[in-house]
Amino acid sequence: MGIIDIKGLVKRYNGTPAVNEVSMEIEQGEVFALLGPNGAGKTTTIKAMLGLLTPTAGAISIGGYDLEGQGKMARRQVGYLPEKVAFYDNLTGRQTMAFYAELRDADVSQGEALLDMVGLGGDMDKKVGAYSKGMVQRLGLAQAMIGDPPILVLDEPTSGLDPRGSWQIRQKIKKLNEQGTTIFISSHILSEVQAVSHRVAILHHGDLMALDTLDNLSERLDLQPVLKIQVREPSGEMAEQVRQVDGVSNVRLAGNTIEVRCTTEAKPHIVNALEAAGGDIVDFTTEEPSLEEVFLRFTED
Amino acid sequence: MDGRAVYSIAKKEFLDNWRNKWIIAMAAIFLVLTLVISYAGASLGGGSGWQDVGGTIAGMMTIVTFLIPIIGLMLGYSAIVGEKESGSLQLLLSYPVHRYEILLGKFFGLSSVLAFASLIGFGVSGVVIGLNVSGMQWGQYGVFIGASFLIGFAYIALSLCFSAVLQKRSTALGVSVLLWFLFAVIWDTILLVALVATENIDLSPGAEFVAPTWYHVAALANPSTAYQTLVAVNIGPVSANIAGDLPSFYSTPVTLIVLLAWTIVPLLAAYIVFRKKDI
Repeated sequence: MGIIDIKGLVKRYNGTPAVNEVSMEIEQGEVFALLGPNGAGKTTTIKAMLGLLTPTAGAISIGGYDLEGQGKMARRQVGYLPEKVAFYDNLTGRQTMAFYAELRDADVSQGEALLDMVGLGGDMDKKVGAYSKGMVQRLGLAQAMIGDPPILVLDEPTSGLDPRGSWQIRQKIKKLNEQGTTIFISSHILSEVQAVSHRVAILHHGDLMALDTLDNLSERLDLQPVLKIQVREPSGEMAEQVRQVDGVSNVRLAGNTIEVRCTTEAKPHIVNALEAAGGDIVDFTTEEPSLEEVFLRFTED
Repeated sequence: MDGRAVYSIAKKEFLDNWRNKWIIAMAAIFLVLTLVISYAGASLGGGSGWQDVGGTIAGMMTIVTFLIPIIGLMLGYSAIVGEKESGSLQLLLSYPVHRYEILLGKFFGLSSVLAFASLIGFGVSGVVIGLNVSGMQWGQYGVFIGASFLIGFAYIALSLCFSAVLQKRSTALGVSVLLWFLFAVIWDTILLVALVATENIDLSPGAEFVAPTWYHVAALANPSTAYQTLVAVNIGPVSANIAGDLPSFYSTPVTLIVLLAWTIVPLLAAYIVFRKKDI
C-alpha cells in the first residue's frame, strides 16, 4: 500500500461522473504527477483526496489513515497548495503563518523562517491584502511546508510566478523530495512535470488513461528517442551501416544530418557503426520522447 | 475536540474582523447612540436615583434591539460562504481540523468581536450613568449587558448558519436581511393580523388588551422580544415601561431558553449541513 491510496474513486454530480473508477497508489518518496486536459477530473480527484468533497464511491487513505473515518489524522500528514490559493486580507504574512502553524501544531518561529525562505522576509508584517499575485503564491508554498508534512499536494504550483520563481519552486520540489517528502503535483506545464516527476497519471473525461513512468509509457506507445547526428560528408553507405544496428527502427538522411529512430540501448552502437563507416561526427543531439507526445496520445478524443 | 484548534480559529476570526471597517463603524455608532441616551437620561432627565434610570435603560435597550442584531448578522453572514468564495476555506479544510471545530471557533471569535465592540458603548455609558446617578446598581447593569450579549450571539448563530448552508454570499446576506426584517419589523404586525383574523379582539384605544395564550407564546418566540422581556422582568424600573400585564410565563428562565435555543439550534443545523457539504 502506498502512502496515498485511492481505490475506485467515483464522484458524480447530478448523475454525470466527474471521476469514474479511478485508482492510484502513490509510493512514499516519489514525485507523482497528475495530468489531464481541463475538465478531466484532476481538481475533483485532489479535492476528494483532501476530504473537501465526499466521494460517490471509493475509499481513500493517507499514510494508513482512512480519510472518511480518520480525516484529521490523515490530513495531518499533508501540506496543500491549492490552485488559486487565497488568504485573509486583513492579516499580515507573519500572522497568517502563525495561524496555520498553530493548526498543524508547528512552531510559530518556523513560520517566520519559511517566509524568509520563500523571499517574503521583508514583507511579513504587511497585510496579505497588499501582496502581489506572486507573493501570495509564495506564501502558499510556505504555508504548505509548515510543520514539515511528509506529503505535499501541489495544484499548479508555478502559476502566477515569473520564470525565476518557477525555477525556484522546481528546485525546492527537488530538494524536498531528496529529503524524503512525497510530492503529488498537478500541472499543465508538461516540460516542468517531465523534469521532476517519477511517475505520471493521465486523466481524460474522468477516466484514468495511463499511470506509469514516462519511459514505460513511451515504450507502450512505441515512442522512441530520435538521434540527430550531423556528419561532415554523409553517405548512403553510412546510413546503411547505421540501419544494420540492433534496435534501430528508422534512418533518414536530411541534408548533412542523419536522423535515427532507435532504442536507448542502441545509441552507443550507432556512434560506433557511423565511425566505422568513416563518418566524421560534427554534432550529436538526442530528442527523447516528450511527455507532451505521451499526453496527446492518451487524451485523443 | 481539540480546544487549541477552536481557539486558533477564534483568534484569527477576532483579528480578521476587528479590523473590518464596517464593524468599526457600527461600534462607533453604537457608542455615540448609547452615550447620547445615557447622558440625556441620566444627567439631564429628572431624578437621580437608580429607580429613575429605567427610562435611560429602556432607551439603551431600544438601541440594542435595533443595532446589535445588525452587527451580529453582518459578522456572521460571510464567515463561511465568504471564505468559500475567496478560496481560503478550501485551504482551511485541508488542515487537520474538524468542520465542527471551524464552526465553533468562528462562533466564539465573532461573539468576542461583538462583545468587545458593544462593551465600548456600554462601558462609556456606564461611566456617564454612574457619575450622575446615586445608588447605581451595577449588578442590574451587568444583567442588562449580559442579556444584550445573548441577543447578539443568537443573531451571530443564525447568520453563521446561513453562511454554512447557503451557496452564495449574496444569498446569505439577503436571507440575513430578510430575517432581521422579519423579527425587528413585521413579526408583531403579523401576529396582530392573525389575532384579529381568528379571535374577537377589541383593539380600540382604551379597551383592555386581552390576548389568548398562543399569541403571547408566538410573540415571545421572537428572539428580540425575548431579549426585551428578559431585561424588563429583571431590571425593576424598566418593567413599568412595557405596556400591559405580562403573562406569568414571561420570566427569566423562559426567555433565557428562547435566546439559547435561537443560538444552539442554528449552530446544530449548520453543523449537520456543513459536515457533509462539498466545497
